[in-house]
Amino acid sequence: MTLRRALLALLAPALVLVAAGCGSSSTTTSTAGSATPASSTSSASHILRIPYLADMSVPDPDIFYDIEGNSVILSAYEGLLKYSPNSDKLVPDLATSWSESPDRLTYTFHLRANVHFHDGSPFTAKSVIASFKRRLNVGQAPAYMVKPIASMTTPDPLTLVVKLKEPVDPFLDYLASSWGPKMIGPEAIVTHAGKDFGQTWLQTHDDGTGPFQLTEFARGRQYVLTRNENWWGAKPFFQKVLLKITPDISTQQLELENGSVDGIMHSFPAANLSSLPSSVKVLKYPSYLRLLLYVNTNKPPFNNPAVRASLRAAIDPAKLVAEAYSGTGTNSKGPFPAELLSGQPTLPYAPNPTVAAEGVTKASTKSIVLGFTADESGIQRRVGEILQAAPEAAGWKVTVKEVQLPQVYAYINNLGAAPDLLLQTNTPDAANADTWSRILFFKEGGLNFLGFNNARVNKLLEKSRSAAPAESEQLEREAGQEVVNENGIFFLGDIDNVFVLNKDLEGVEQIPAYPWTVNYASLRRTSG
Amino acid sequence: MAGLIARRSVALVAVLFGLALIVFVLQAVVPQNPARAMVGASASPEVVAKKARELGYDEPLPVRFADYMERLFSGNLQTSLRTRNPVVADLESFAPATLELALTAAAIAAAIGVSLGLLLAAGGRLARVLRTILIGGASVPTFLSGLALILLFYSTLHLLPASGRINDTLIAPTGPTKLMLLDALLHGEPSVFWSVLTHLILPAFTLALIPALAIARVLAASCEAVMREDYVRTARTKGLRERTVILRHVLRNASGPPLTMSGLQFGLLLGGIVVVEQIFAWPGLGRYLDQSIAYADFPAITGTTLLLGTAYVIVNFLVDLAQAWADPRIRTV
Repeated sequence: MTLRRALLALLAPALVLVAAGCGSSSTTTSTAGSATPASSTSSASHILRIPYLADMSVPDPDIFYDIEGNSVILSAYEGLLKYSPNSDKLVPDLATSWSESPDRLTYTFHLRANVHFHDGSPFTAKSVIASFKRRLNVGQAPAYMVKPIASMTTPDPLTLVVKLKEPVDPFLDYLASSWGPKMIGPEAIVTHAGKDFGQTWLQTHDDGTGPFQLTEFARGRQYVLTRNENWWGAKPFFQKVLLKITPDISTQQLELENGSVDGIMHSFPAANLSSLPSSVKVLKYPSYLRLLLYVNTNKPPFNNPAVRASLRAAIDPAKLVAEAYSGTGTNSKGPFPAELLSGQPTLPYAPNPTVAAEGVTKASTKSIVLGFTADESGIQRRVGEILQAAPEAAGWKVTVKEVQLPQVYAYINNLGAAPDLLLQTNTPDAANADTWSRILFFKEGGLNFLGFNNARVNKLLEKSRSAAPAESEQLEREAGQEVVNENGIFFLGDIDNVFVLNKDLEGVEQIPAYPWTVNYASLRRTSG
Repeated sequence: MAGLIARRSVALVAVLFGLALIVFVLQAVVPQNPARAMVGASASPEVVAKKARELGYDEPLPVRFADYMERLFSGNLQTSLRTRNPVVADLESFAPATLELALTAAAIAAAIGVSLGLLLAAGGRLARVLRTILIGGASVPTFLSGLALILLFYSTLHLLPASGRINDTLIAPTGPTKLMLLDALLHGEPSVFWSVLTHLILPAFTLALIPALAIARVLAASCEAVMREDYVRTARTKGLRERTVILRHVLRNASGPPLTMSGLQFGLLLGGIVVVEQIFAWPGLGRYLDQSIAYADFPAITGTTLLLGTAYVIVNFLVDLAQAWADPRIRTV
């Protein structure tokens, strides 16, 4: 038994270590919860804590083109126009009014007075020109929105006249898009230009005019937005917004339930919504985020229209969306998000096991691959697994395969090696039908992953962009009808913006075209 | 000893070359379009082509490989496609968090492993119960033990935080070591030190659990074998105190297998870091790697792989040195 005593000497450090972890109840409670440390000057109730599931790419509005991170860009920067909350109505932002010439080539913007950038410099028409030019110079994806501009002039410091090369129906929507051109302080652009138009500096700083300033960008850990005391709008309630990178949705959920964070803005497991404690509330709003099933029409078996039609009969979108999204999504009614286009063609999706089974007999192969892009919440995997069942019941042998987004972008280079079916969620850049159809239905569309190519659709879309609004909408409807008839893309579901928030948060403003994002400047705490 | 160091140095170069080659081949054979992913869906074909040229993806494979190796030899790990920072700068930013977590986990694993191993070797009813717990514990996946610890210590007992490296409103110390625990001490910041320590405990313990159990089982078996040796019986019959027998004769001679196991477990520990950093929102290399993989950010993947590979080789080298210290016969092998 003396060996036991000898062991005690060795065990002691381990026991002390464990005790250090477990025996600190009296002093660590505040650390685990919402502490008010000495180094902070903001009172706890005026700090908003929101988790992000992943880092944003970069907080540079001329490069950023993702969804996670939208709230940083929209808090720090402003554009000329924006959308009214819960709608797709264009309203003033840094432009107080605007007009369009009859030939739709000239736009005149009257700008808001007494607006300052975060570095204190004034916002004028010249700032807009500098920001638009920087976007072109940086030349990343969002640059396409200012490419139609032929020239810009400034009759006075608060008036900007923009002339386009040709009429562009969605031009004003580009200016209101969350990825649209944002105003960046021209002095900062010059001072920190470096050799890359200030891209390096803007990776960790901002110089917008927004209600918050990006005061810390600790990649992988947290971003801090601090209230802009000189903002032209109503003073935001929160002094700071802490965006903590918490990549596990279960951890986020536990932290919300324990009050360590104030809300979860996306990817909350729908199945857990019904078992939340009374301290939190769930808010659901329609968004433009859509669940799509791409069909590879460029190789057997789905290069055969009859086989594609039979596949349509195998799918039951209503059941799929109900099972996967548990009340946080609805099955799509048309090829465009409903609010983007009135009178759009209806979707003829009606499951018919007999037709579905007949189609399999016409197919050159019964083995098909269904790819899906994994997301942080795991819902895409679940959709894939549910979706797998219906075609298999019809006689298909479906292999479900997880793929990464860069692989998906490469499918267009070798469609023969691409999967037969691809599950994706996507959203238009703005509340305009063209910003959906052009990237999805057009032969060179960036989200046209499996090479859908229909000559009539391409022609209609080429015409619609410069057509007058009413004609443009009609052309979009016709293009949409053609896509539906072709069964090259199935429009399965419209996914809600689901915000799970502490009950004491009020003033939620969201915009369907800005997925996963609420306006931090309008939020307030009732208990504050 | 010089021979051992020379052999290990050659092994390090070979391992790093092998890793670099594997990552390059993966990059070349996996059909993906990082240029398109980087510039976004609405970018024109010209913008995508320009970005592909910038990244060198339009060059023939042998040219790309030559460029790639040349860059590696000059210490240029390129720019991350996702963060748009030089990968070296990203690694400098993320590695200290992982190092702090790994060192703490290794210390916990060693302390628990050795203690439990000796308890098991001592035999008795307690040892039998412990053995059963160990077998059960070793089969619990890291993500599950992590979540269980969060549920217990964060949600139920409210003792420890669930995520992050420091309380989100505290100002993190910025140096000199970038190991926050140490820096907080050096800066004389007790509140920061306490916050960092409480944040470190759960992830480090989760990470340490499986290696600790493995070390304990191997050490117990090794001790049991050594305790049957004649020289141990002789030591006891000479009247040496049991503590002296265990610490001086048994533990040292039984340390070979657990030391080897520690080296192997360190590799598993590095693998487990990705999961642990994910669950506990720990801003380290595991998270950086995880996000880079989803983005097919091969410069970042390459840099992280080479850094972790180097760490693995170095730790195993240190294990070799420890074994040579414990058993002089090894020095001549």
